Amino acid sequence: MSTQTPTERPESDDRIALPDELAELLGDRVIGREEHLNAPGYVIRPDAVQDVLSTLKNEAGYDHLSCVTAQEYEDRYESIYHLKKFDDPTQEVSVVVPTDTGSPRSESAEPVFRTADWHEREAYDLIGIDYDDHPDLRRILLPETWQGHPLSLEYDRTRPQIVRFDENANPLESDTRSERDTDTMMLNIGPHHPATHGVMHLEATLDGEQVVDVEPDIGYIHRCEEQMCQSGTYRHQIMPYPDRWDWGGGGLLNEWAYARVAETLADIEVPEYAQVVRTMGAELSRILSHLLAVGAYALDVAGDFTATFMYAITERETVQNVLEDLTGQRLMFNYFRLGGVAWDLPEPREEFFERTRDFLDGFPRRLAEFHDLLTGNEIIQMRTVDTGVLPPEVAKDYGCTGPVLRGSGVDYDLRRDDPYGYYDELDWGVVTQESGDNFARLQVRLREMEESARIIEQCLDLLEGWPEADRSVQANVPRTIKPDDDTEVYTAVEAAKGELGIYVRADGTDEPARFKIRGPSFSNLQALPEMAEGELIPDMIASLGSLDIVLGSVDR
Amino acid sequence: MTGLAPLQTQTPLPDFIANALGLEGAAGAIVGALVGAFVIANILLVFSGIAGPWAKRKLTAAFTDRIAVNRIGPFGLLIIVADAVRLLSKENIIPEGVDRPAFDLAPIILPFSALLGFAVIPMGSGLHLADPETGLVFVFAVASIASIGVVMGGYASNNKYSMLGALRAVAMNIAYEIPLVITAASVVIFAGTLQMSEIVAVQAEPLVSFAGVAIPSWFAFVNPFAFALFLAANLAEIGRNPFDLAEAPNEIIGGYITEYSSVYFVLFFLGEFVHIFLGGAIIATVFLGGPAAPISSLSFIPGIVWFVIKIWSVFLFTQWARSAVPRMRIDQMIEVGWKGLLVLSFANLLLTAVIVGVLA
Repeated sequence: MSTQTPTERPESDDRIALPDELAELLGDRVIGREEHLNAPGYVIRPDAVQDVLSTLKNEAGYDHLSCVTAQEYEDRYESIYHLKKFDDPTQEVSVVVPTDTGSPRSESAEPVFRTADWHEREAYDLIGIDYDDHPDLRRILLPETWQGHPLSLEYDRTRPQIVRFDENANPLESDTRSERDTDTMMLNIGPHHPATHGVMHLEATLDGEQVVDVEPDIGYIHRCEEQMCQSGTYRHQIMPYPDRWDWGGGGLLNEWAYARVAETLADIEVPEYAQVVRTMGAELSRILSHLLAVGAYALDVAGDFTATFMYAITERETVQNVLEDLTGQRLMFNYFRLGGVAWDLPEPREEFFERTRDFLDGFPRRLAEFHDLLTGNEIIQMRTVDTGVLPPEVAKDYGCTGPVLRGSGVDYDLRRDDPYGYYDELDWGVVTQESGDNFARLQVRLREMEESARIIEQCLDLLEGWPEADRSVQANVPRTIKPDDDTEVYTAVEAAKGELGIYVRADGTDEPARFKIRGPSFSNLQALPEMAEGELIPDMIASLGSLDIVLGSVDR
Repeated sequence: MTGLAPLQTQTPLPDFIANALGLEGAAGAIVGALVGAFVIANILLVFSGIAGPWAKRKLTAAFTDRIAVNRIGPFGLLIIVADAVRLLSKENIIPEGVDRPAFDLAPIILPFSALLGFAVIPMGSGLHLADPETGLVFVFAVASIASIGVVMGGYASNNKYSMLGALRAVAMNIAYEIPLVITAASVVIFAGTLQMSEIVAVQAEPLVSFAGVAIPSWFAFVNPFAFALFLAANLAEIGRNPFDLAEAPNEIIGGYITEYSSVYFVLFFLGEFVHIFLGGAIIATVFLGGPAAPISSLSFIPGIVWFVIKIWSVFLFTQWARSAVPRMRIDQMIEVGWKGLLVLSFANLLLTAVIVGVLA
């Protein structure tokens, strides 16, 4: 267990910082330069992807492939690899890989970063870029019978996709074991199963109860979120969507992801008071999400009539009441606005403060109860310690973030490492656990709630003492936002489940030309096979629960 | 009280009924047995009918900070009727490719094997169908038949989840059934008999007395270690947390009952509850003095009342375990069974044998 306050953070390595030095490192592999608002962009040839990425990873320390964005221009396709450093996520670089329109082919980054596997499958699925050297280039979000690539330019959205039932793949047909191999059994877990936390399908190959192989099959609730955001205006129409990517309660945190990217894009300064309100709301939201994660985890491990789940729900109720007072909503808050929040704290303020403080006063006792019921329980320890181990290097390779990564002992939290809002002014710590097992992830979430409570307490103090004349909840934001043509930006925030990144390319209109969402659960879920293979079914269920995926951010 | 007085004899229920009806010989034996069995079965159906849809909800709700059914009738009691109608009126779906008649037999075996066990349980107030000399062996033998029902259901369902559930049930069965029987055997050494009525009678002897109140020598007091072992093994026998692995809804959906619906599901459901009550009845008879009152000054209350209190206490215990204790993993459960319960139960048996041998 280690917690670090922002001031104790070690200086990040200063091996590479300047764009020109990077260009020098990459040499003639760079065929052009781009400037994204968040990072320098290097244009490279489609056959040099692995070479460039491994150079950046091994020699310049860019070890975090945060996101892969694909898009189509009039004259070319483009894959953008958004790289960061786990040590210092403010050091970013974008690797831009243009490909021809005719038959877009690009080298896969999968051999360098495992996480590229799913990201490139999604790029293939939605945009239509082929990745050479990719181990398994199939559709990922849409059914395999889908015609066309919906985010490509020539795609006809009006054409109905009519598929007969028998044209769909029969999941049992992929069970292609030889006649002699009768020791294993293929089991379809989901799409409807109590432990998949939504509509998800795990194709598991079992040897008795032991999981030999498991492959998550996602996309059942793909709702075209990127497409919808691309047809909404920056100013008002996009903000409600991020709430829908996390129905575990982390809505405000997700709204911040859009607020951050749009505010960077339109260069909006948020008033300090609004930042404090945002920070408080966001941490309440995190508690909401973590409580559900912990409660549902108790369901996964303990059984379906456990009291722990209901205790978590009871406690959530208090938080939801506070958030309802603040935002007017209990699940889909839609409280953030570009340049601030929708409105100030509810009147009478004293009542709101009292209510929130009441919750905070009772919270440590409830947390102690959860520790009694979960981390202190011997059977839970038997079930979770040393099961579902995710080593830190593997976690990084898969682009895992949030409590999952911190449970593997990697000290990475965007709230501290790439500060936004009011976090860097407050006194709180990042929770990590070294062991990387199911138990560690459970403990990280429980401890993070303590830290969130600390943040909320400090925000309350600040808000109570804030001079009345200075309580500005919104900056002056133009009615219509039209960023310059070809402005590109990728920013991320620390959402409840991990790093939620959004890439936006503006085309001079008031709607984004490309809106790409990096859902934290998408990358986290990809690591499930690493954790589950070789373990028993109950351990796989426990591991899945400990990832705390929300399919709204997996399928989008 | 006067009305109950004739029932409080040691005459088994079938004989009492035959006498009351004035029948003799074979006809009397048959009619008496049938009517007696009918009475006992109905008492149990009433129990499980209440326990299933209502008491379980209320109890788990109380454990988990909820309210549960309270809309239909007083305390939501009429939910029992509503649930019965709902469950019985549903379509009985029989999936393609199931192995009949095994699929149809399984839901019958489970409740009836448990019901059969009650034949030898002395429930007090004369409610005792039969009292063979091998009563204790009989009750364990028929209770174990339930596992066959589980395996049949799991295997015949043609579903991988059911299959996994059935396999778990078999693995568990071997792991807990031996400790269960061995622990009961330690009681037999004390009592010197396998006959249920005798076991109950032996426990009526006073153990110690405090201030004039005699504590009976219930085996739970005489050998609390064996009692604890038996309670733990019994949780596995009836498949409740931490040993509810054969169903484990979060892992294998419903295990062996995954494919069962409507009436078949009701039968499984019922079977589980009768089984919990049979577990409670065995515990009450073997460790808690059967239908006897805890202190003699309370023995004006009929034995059946004490008996019901005792088996419902065991039911309460299982619900408590279910709400509070996490589920184990199958390999851990087997480990607990073989390395823990089995070793401890043999130690208990040896120790008991030595103590009884020395004292006698």
